[in-house]
Amino acid sequence: MKEEIQTLRQKALEEIPICKNLKELESLRIKFLGRKSKLSSLLGQIGQLSKEQRPIIGDLLNQTKREIENQISERKDALLLETQKKKIVKQELDISFPGRPIEIGAKHPLFKIWEEIEDIFISLGFEIAEGPEIETEYYNFDALNTPEWHPARNLSDTFYLKNGMLLRTETSPVQIRVMEKYKPPIRIIAPGRCYRNDKPDASHSPVFHQFEALVVDVGITFADLKGTLDSFVKRLFGDKTHSRFRPHFFPFTEPSAEIDILCINCNGKGCKLCKNTGWLEMGGAGMVDPEVLKQVNYDSEKYTGFAFGLGIDRITMLRYGIHDIRILFKNDLRFLQQFV
Amino acid sequence: MKISYNWLKEFVPIDLPIEEFCQKLTMYGIEVENIIHFGDEYENIVVGKIVSVKPHPKSDHLSVCLVDVGENKPLSVICGAPNVKENQNVPLAKIGAMLGDFKIKKAKLRGIESYGVICSEKELGISDDHSGIMVLEGEYNAGTPFAEVLKIDDYVIDVEITPNRPDLLGMIGIAREVAVMLDTKYTTPKIEFNPDMSGKQLTSELLSVEIDDPELCPRYCGRLIKNITVKPSPGWVQTRLKAVGLRPINNIVDITNYILMEYGHPLHAFDYENISENKIIVRRAKDGEKIELLDEQIYTLSSQNLVIADNEKPVALAGIMGGVNSSILSTTKDIVLECACFNPKNIRATSLSLNLESDSSYRFERGMDPNRLEEVIDRTAQLIQLTAGGEICKGIVDVYPKKILPKKVFLRTQRVNHILDTKLQPYTIKSYLLKFEFTIFEKGENFEVTIPTFRPDLEREIDIIEEIARCYGYKNIHSKFSLPRIEDRQKRETIRKIRSHLVNLGFFEVCNLSFASPDVFDKLNLPKDDYRRNIIELANPLGEQFSILRTTLIPDLFSNVALNLSHKLEHFKLFELNNVYFKNENNLPSEQVSLTGVIVGDFVPKYWNSKSQLSSFFDVKGILESLFKILHCTHYISFKKSDEPFYITGQSSDVLLNDVKIGSYGILKKDVLSNFEIKAHAIIFDINVSTLLSHIPHEEIYYKEVIKFPPVLRDIAIIVPQGISVAEIETTINSFNPEIIKNVSLFDVYKGSQIRENHRSLAFSITFQSDKSTLTDKYIDKLFDKIVKKLLKKYKIELRHR
Ligand SMILES: [Zn+2]
Repeated sequence: MKEEIQTLRQKALEEIPICKNLKELESLRIKFLGRKSKLSSLLGQIGQLSKEQRPIIGDLLNQTKREIENQISERKDALLLETQKKKIVKQELDISFPGRPIEIGAKHPLFKIWEEIEDIFISLGFEIAEGPEIETEYYNFDALNTPEWHPARNLSDTFYLKNGMLLRTETSPVQIRVMEKYKPPIRIIAPGRCYRNDKPDASHSPVFHQFEALVVDVGITFADLKGTLDSFVKRLFGDKTHSRFRPHFFPFTEPSAEIDILCINCNGKGCKLCKNTGWLEMGGAGMVDPEVLKQVNYDSEKYTGFAFGLGIDRITMLRYGIHDIRILFKNDLRFLQQFV
Repeated sequence: MKISYNWLKEFVPIDLPIEEFCQKLTMYGIEVENIIHFGDEYENIVVGKIVSVKPHPKSDHLSVCLVDVGENKPLSVICGAPNVKENQNVPLAKIGAMLGDFKIKKAKLRGIESYGVICSEKELGISDDHSGIMVLEGEYNAGTPFAEVLKIDDYVIDVEITPNRPDLLGMIGIAREVAVMLDTKYTTPKIEFNPDMSGKQLTSELLSVEIDDPELCPRYCGRLIKNITVKPSPGWVQTRLKAVGLRPINNIVDITNYILMEYGHPLHAFDYENISENKIIVRRAKDGEKIELLDEQIYTLSSQNLVIADNEKPVALAGIMGGVNSSILSTTKDIVLECACFNPKNIRATSLSLNLESDSSYRFERGMDPNRLEEVIDRTAQLIQLTAGGEICKGIVDVYPKKILPKKVFLRTQRVNHILDTKLQPYTIKSYLLKFEFTIFEKGENFEVTIPTFRPDLEREIDIIEEIARCYGYKNIHSKFSLPRIEDRQKRETIRKIRSHLVNLGFFEVCNLSFASPDVFDKLNLPKDDYRRNIIELANPLGEQFSILRTTLIPDLFSNVALNLSHKLEHFKLFELNNVYFKNENNLPSEQVSLTGVIVGDFVPKYWNSKSQLSSFFDVKGILESLFKILHCTHYISFKKSDEPFYITGQSSDVLLNDVKIGSYGILKKDVLSNFEIKAHAIIFDINVSTLLSHIPHEEIYYKEVIKFPPVLRDIAIIVPQGISVAEIETTINSFNPEIIKNVSLFDVYKGSQIRENHRSLAFSITFQSDKSTLTDKYIDKLFDKIVKKLLKKYKIELRHR
């Protein structure tokens, strides 16, 4: 009987671990442990054994039964885990697939900078003004104190229209229009499109963009001009840069200055961008000429003011490292897509 | 604090209507919170003269009185009081009067009507006497307002006194400020004692005072009054106290309260008999020492608290509240008056730690003037003598170990003008300083200013400058940085909104130059008289193809499309937002902002999970509709067929804002596209932003209450002849009951074999919702039937299903 039990055990321990699914496992359970199983019938025969044999065989039978039960339960767990794993694999996404493309466009870099400049000046307490691009000689030259002989008035410099008007050569005429209409204090910037009769090349465009700043009030000084301009360039290009003023000539400001900023590329050490000077030329500035104030019937003894004009295209090019102004107006998507 | 207008006027002449006076006060820095006409509670209560008294036929204790109230006819009033007699003057509450919370109405007592109530003192809130009606002594005209009889016709001005101004916590302090404000003089009460009743003894012989801690009590004055009679205060005292919100108790307590409101300085009166050994000691309490105060609470003190004590016990919590053991009783004969000054910080700390506040602590913790105690204590003695009799003992006991001297501040005229941006001359500043009772010593154009001790808030030059500014008047200081409004904010914001919106929808912005070639109009198929041919020509152009200023952005955008197609890009969206220029005879040319966009190729890009989708007419329409939504003008927009010559006929639309054309969109003709060398599918939209801006209604976002009641959705499918537009049907359904039909939207179009030729089936989803109630099925069924009937009748359509 001992041998019979050993064979039975052997068989069960071989078959159970290799069964393939829960259904098979269940039939094995019935086969080895069920009511009609060999084990059951052997258990039934215990009574017929001798007193000495009875406990030994009984123990062996019970031990075998427990062993088989454990085997089945272990196998069951293993099978369950396997099914679950299979299910997960089936549900699993390939997360490397691309997401649904949501198209995003971009503002033109010039207008990105335009808006940024407006926002800086709004935060400094300025208002945004505007004026016409098509101007009269009066606003573009005469009211701005431009002498008759000034070369800017030439056909080779300025676009004239067949009706005798012209395309403004700078945003300065907005100064005059604003001062004619409003009394001080004035605190504006006027961004806009300007025109010069230039053949297009890497640094010239017949159409360009500029903004004019104008502040007029009691007690406005050259120091206010320097402080305001410095606040602006630091907000635009970061705290490392600063501005400097070189004496210059503009008809409508006195004293006049050209503005440079410390090269944003090399911080003044000298590089290709600044042609090894350490400085970048930014535009013109100065105290509003008393003649201009008189022109708009301001009391030029009581009021003083400053003005400056900077190129928006120039700032855009510096900011993004664009070396040719013509690229701005070509509208090549390979360029535009870089500004998303 | 409450100011009695009558009381105030006793010290300073004011010849202004109350509203104007209060307005001035507010602008001067004493903010008026409320003005109450005191005596309003006696509205409709008048003096009545009893013409006759007859017994009530059905009652043995009621009388029927005829009372003359100065009107055409005497009033018939039922009265139950035993003391009512003919010819008496009585307070009569007419119909409409309020007695406490009780409103007088016409009443019927045992069959006889009564048109008012003759009042007792209790009913009028004057005393607790309810034994009979109040009988007025003296002569009065019938009908005189009762408030006038009581002399309580007064304004009570409730003002906010900022915590830095303890000097304003009394009528005299306010009067001083008002005098500066109105550029007039104020007076203080004239103090004199009745010589016949002056005591012979010296206060100092009967009372001694000792200050243990001069840090916490810099000064203490005491005065003795003997043989007083404690009783209720006379009416004028009571009226004043009530006006400023204090409850009358007895003449002694009332007078100390009266002085509290007059001088703003708290005082206390002790029963002399209960001050053991006639000695007052101002000392720190012992830790654990207990005292029962007038609020009948027992407080356990610590050495952080200051007490007034005699040799045995504490008799008051200094500056906050008196003790029960020394309080004034009806039997009190001799009293000690205390007028002292305490350390504000210590009073505040004690008040906080014991959670005990009083009118007294309120003032002491803000700082009281130590140099006016004699005047205050004498004034108090004067009024006590007036109302309670007694003999005022000679002199006061005054312990003032270290006299507190006024502060000195140096004031520079130039600094005043620098701060205020004024041009005040030294003599003007001087006149202001003198108004404030500052002592000044001129040093050139500057001043050494000695600040009276009643102004603890003034310590520095800048504090004096504030006083000068108030005196000069804030409204007289010019305003400097007031910028004119120059910018067109709506335009700037609209342009930015449009730009951001299109960028977020996948468009790239382009920027082209302003010049154009004159041949572009022919390429666009524009007729000879098209407005876009109204061009401005340059006199010295860079070349023929740059010789005019552009009147439309379309040609440049086409060049951009051609360029990018040549780079093997097939699907993209571009827009430009820039000026166009039109000739304008005799004037500056007209510069207008234009918006032009183009979609080339697919609208939806290719994706592994869905197919690409060629851009359609309705894609562009959707973009424009979303744009109008963010510009808040959807309701004013309409679409109609366009006859722009560059679009495919029947596949284009004009856009109208309030019936003004602002642009168009549509699918481009092949030949137009090939004129610009474009071999691709392209749709454009072209909007004149300037026209849009000049016609757009200004609509702000304004929150509407969300509707609590659930919406109900119904679908309807109808077969409609081709000619009838979806918009027309939507409008018809909508207009049926716009209150309840919240939305109509097309969700299906069908043109199959089951539908007749030249017809189509349209399915709409209608949303019903009311903001007043939940809509019942029955109600909606009925409404729905009506809509169907109307549609059938108006358009001769067929109902497919519902
Ligand atoms: Zn550099």
